[in-house]
Amino acid sequence: MPDLIQMQAIDKSFPGVRALRSVDFTLRAGEVHALMGENGAGKSTLMKILSGVYQPDAGTILVDGKAQSIGGPRAAQALGIAIIHQELMLMRDLTVAQNIFIGRERRNLFGVLDEAWLNASAEAIFAQMKVKIDPRARVADLSVAQAQMVEIAKALSYQSRALIMDEPTAALNAKEVAELFAIVARLRGEGVGVVYISHRMDEIRQISDRVTVMRDGALVGTVAAADTPIEKIISMMVGREISDAPPIVPNLAGAPKALEVRNLSRGRAVRDVSFDLQRGEILGFAGLMGAGRTELARLIFGADRADGGSISVAGKPAAIASPADAVRLGIGYLSEDRKHLGLALGMDVRANIGLTALARFSDSFGRIDEAALGRVAQDYIAQLAIRTPSDAQEVRLLSGGNQQKVVIAKWLLRDCDILIFDEPTRGIDVGAKAEIYTLIQGLAAMGKSIIVISSELPEVLRLSHRIAVMCEGRLTGILPAQAAQEQIMALATQRETTAGAAA
Amino acid sequence: MSSQVAAEKPKSKDLSGAGQKLLAFASLIALIVAFSLLSENFRTVTNMMNILQATSVIGLLAVSATIVIITGGIDLSVGTAMTFTAVTAGMLLTWLGLPIAVGVIGAIVMGALTGLASGAFITKMRIPPFIATLGMMLVLKGLSLILTGTKPIYFNDSPGFTSIAQGSVIGALLPAFPVPNGVLILFIVAAGVAYILNRTVLGRYTYALGSNEEAARLSGVNVDAWKMAIYALAGAVTGIAGVVLAARLNSAQPALGQGYELEAIAAVVIGGTSLAGGRGTILGTLIGALIMSVMTNGLRILSVAPEWQIVATGAIIIGAVYADSLRKK
Amino acid sequence: MFTRRTLLGATAAFAMLATSAAAEDKLYIPLVSKGFQHQFWQAVKLGADKAAAEFGVEVTFEGPETEAQVDKQIEMLTTALSKNPAAIGFAALDSQAAIPLLQQAKDAGIPVVAFDSGVDSDIPVSTASTSNVAASALAASKMAELIGDAGKVAVIAHDQTSRTGIDRTEGFVNEIKANHPGIEIVAVEVGGGDQLKSAEIAKTLLAANPDLKGMFATNEGGAIGMVNGVQEAGGKIVIIGFDSGKAQKDAIKSGLMAGAITQNPVGIGYETVKAAVAAAKGEAVEKNIDTGFYWYDATNIDAPEIAAVLYD
Repeated sequence: MPDLIQMQAIDKSFPGVRALRSVDFTLRAGEVHALMGENGAGKSTLMKILSGVYQPDAGTILVDGKAQSIGGPRAAQALGIAIIHQELMLMRDLTVAQNIFIGRERRNLFGVLDEAWLNASAEAIFAQMKVKIDPRARVADLSVAQAQMVEIAKALSYQSRALIMDEPTAALNAKEVAELFAIVARLRGEGVGVVYISHRMDEIRQISDRVTVMRDGALVGTVAAADTPIEKIISMMVGREISDAPPIVPNLAGAPKALEVRNLSRGRAVRDVSFDLQRGEILGFAGLMGAGRTELARLIFGADRADGGSISVAGKPAAIASPADAVRLGIGYLSEDRKHLGLALGMDVRANIGLTALARFSDSFGRIDEAALGRVAQDYIAQLAIRTPSDAQEVRLLSGGNQQKVVIAKWLLRDCDILIFDEPTRGIDVGAKAEIYTLIQGLAAMGKSIIVISSELPEVLRLSHRIAVMCEGRLTGILPAQAAQEQIMALATQRETTAGAAA
Repeated sequence: MSSQVAAEKPKSKDLSGAGQKLLAFASLIALIVAFSLLSENFRTVTNMMNILQATSVIGLLAVSATIVIITGGIDLSVGTAMTFTAVTAGMLLTWLGLPIAVGVIGAIVMGALTGLASGAFITKMRIPPFIATLGMMLVLKGLSLILTGTKPIYFNDSPGFTSIAQGSVIGALLPAFPVPNGVLILFIVAAGVAYILNRTVLGRYTYALGSNEEAARLSGVNVDAWKMAIYALAGAVTGIAGVVLAARLNSAQPALGQGYELEAIAAVVIGGTSLAGGRGTILGTLIGALIMSVMTNGLRILSVAPEWQIVATGAIIIGAVYADSLRKK
Repeated sequence: MFTRRTLLGATAAFAMLATSAAAEDKLYIPLVSKGFQHQFWQAVKLGADKAAAEFGVEVTFEGPETEAQVDKQIEMLTTALSKNPAAIGFAALDSQAAIPLLQQAKDAGIPVVAFDSGVDSDIPVSTASTSNVAASALAASKMAELIGDAGKVAVIAHDQTSRTGIDRTEGFVNEIKANHPGIEIVAVEVGGGDQLKSAEIAKTLLAANPDLKGMFATNEGGAIGMVNGVQEAGGKIVIIGFDSGKAQKDAIKSGLMAGAITQNPVGIGYETVKAAVAAAKGEAVEKNIDTGFYWYDATNIDAPEIAAVLYD
């Protein structure tokens, strides 16, 4: 019997990026096949090709041994291939049942919908999944975990034989993860092939039969999950051992405190968080998605209003009511969403670097001193090794790593002493990552105080002098550099009911 | 962002849609009560009928605009498209001497065609709705002037045409409630469109497109075809507005119409429909349109200077949307 | 961007070539009006064309789409001046806004003839217009006569910023105040010349003042709206309009409207071009040309001297 799905020698390029290079991948009926790799390794692209979102440049796809061309989402659905996208693809203003059956509504001759059928069918699917969700609820009112279940229900409603899950547990808590795994196990028992994309090593062991690892758009290898040690999988992913460059923790005993945060709170997102940051220190923030790290950063930066708590900068109490206040106090925030929040993509490198410091480069009539700005921009281009033909290049044409350096230059120009990096290497390739790490370490050595928020544990371990861990809005502990992954994971999943002893 | 959602407990019930309607409805009642206390001439049946009649044309346009705005689009051409359909009716009835029914249907079909054209520009030529309908607004205005030679077309040869808006079928049955036919048409059309939006595939996709067009596309919905159909539906409603307008004025006035689109959009926004798409109701829009009419009428009855009437209308728009954003916080 | 700009430039150059070629054998006199869509302006154009044929000159006629578009009118005047005309006819929407351009015309030796409404300046060599104040005062006297010199009346103005809007409103209001103490003006509303809006205003005024005796509208759009509104409301009051047009004429014939003031738009167009030709040739022209106005009602609407100045 042929494999359920065979993808052979798949190539795919996007403008400026070779996303996939001759990738092979197979999925058998009744297996859970984990697909692993760092961000930008090409996992999502490969799966988008399988589900008809992208068309491959070259290669063939066989379903049940027959070559198929998957021209669009509809064609994939017809072949029994369903995908649950990383960013939930739901219509927030529609109800659960309406979302599940969008595009396939039962209707009469005049297009009038049979809402009762819709809700009953959705209910039946949820019953089969053993999940309790009201089909009439609006998706906007659901939790992320519930929305995830709706996506799965939607996939099941197509009678899918192949189900692709792209980081389904990213936003789920432990109980919800267990529920999800039960559903996945049940599907496997019914002969469905599941492709499971995840970063979480512990999960892979738990549910997968085989593991395929990708790196930089190419296949590294496929191994059986049961008899491959996790270290082996990790080294396949990063191409080297992860502990090859431990941070040199400077002696900060006498260093002054750059930032003191006391009892900072905002709703349930950030609850009673207190910590210190010293001059020259790199403080890593680890935690699962939704732990409240970005929310904490936004509070410190004044992007959101805190319900309570206080912040001191360089020993003085600081009232930070807006990002402008934070910048005046020398705090810079490098957003995880560079493209939307950090850069003006259509403007050139020089303009982006100067964006927050224009007051210094303009006269009282608001005329910009382009020459001076250009000199400064060129200095930073050299200092940070930004690879760009000139300071007049549009930022959108730079690679992710170089875009990140432009953002860093922008904040350095503002003379920021405290820099908050939120996911500094998201979407940046492996080589450039190392450069960003060196840069961040260099900044700390210069006396800047740095907070690094990262969802990639190796990154936190590689950079941090101390590691703060958050869970569900609370700071569950601060660990020394080179803490064991298990320790971090324990704190990151320390839910409120069990927190009493540790806190 | 997403993490914040995860941290929050899911709300038990959808309140946002109902909440805004309640708020708008309460404002409407408050306005009516306030004006009634201030002037005895405001609280007459005749004046209430005046207010309803004054809402008929703008209300129909606002219904049309609501449909498009729920998809996340905008239609700036409703005002001049209305005029264009009125001119169409004029040409069919007065110039060609065809029966009234043909003129009415012709105007509605012409409205649907203009909507279809806007939809095609948006989907097939990838022109943003704002630009596509801005273009249509000017094209249709120009065509109306060209076709009529800038002269109004009168409906004197089609006796009975004016009763489409001015007569009162309800009044004939219930003399105490002489609701003009134009108003009756508004309510029937509004009910019909509300039904389409809530109960049919077309309506479902209207909300789906405004909520997350990409998700709809990935779910296999033929986004382009449905979007064109939605714009055509909106255009047909605009055509009905054109017929009612022509019947009220007993003429097709080619120079009229520009500026009406903004009044319609204002009514939609006051009624709680989000310009970002995905959210909105016809009932809300009707209330929004009534709030505007009650304001205009009431201020005039109180002999407030025309300049201040304009200021008050602007303030109402800002106030309504601000109240909505406060409530959502 | 560059190509578009080049294209525009080329088009403009071509247009100038074309007009200057035409201007070689004939005097060229552009008329920049307040509008062109309205029947009134079409009648002015008719008179201008008649004079053009008679005196053998070339006349163009243009105006903005609405009477609020002062900026567009200024643009049109600029373009007209750049074509180096023999003389220019101008009906100012906002006379202050146009003065720099008019000064420029004067400096270039291009005589300006104002028409329809005056310009607050001594630059125009002549002004061909209706005396709007006197015309509206006549409307006020007729109103007083028709309602028995006592009771409430209201005005629906077409505009509150232009000269005609102000003059016609004030002409009516001042005449009532000065000579008819028994009459109370309860409201002066602005309908913008929009038929639908004016109809709503008329209905609201009737609701607010159930004992209203009469209404006066200062232009054609307002008058038609007023008739529609009063008809819908089922009221029976004295309606007096301004200008003509088919709907207004029908309303007067059927008795819905008591009567209206008509200007002599054909005469305005004719006199403007005639004065412009004379000025271009260096002849003396009268400073103010009164183009006249008439009261018309069901009794005299078909009389030849009235029918000649009415338009459909």
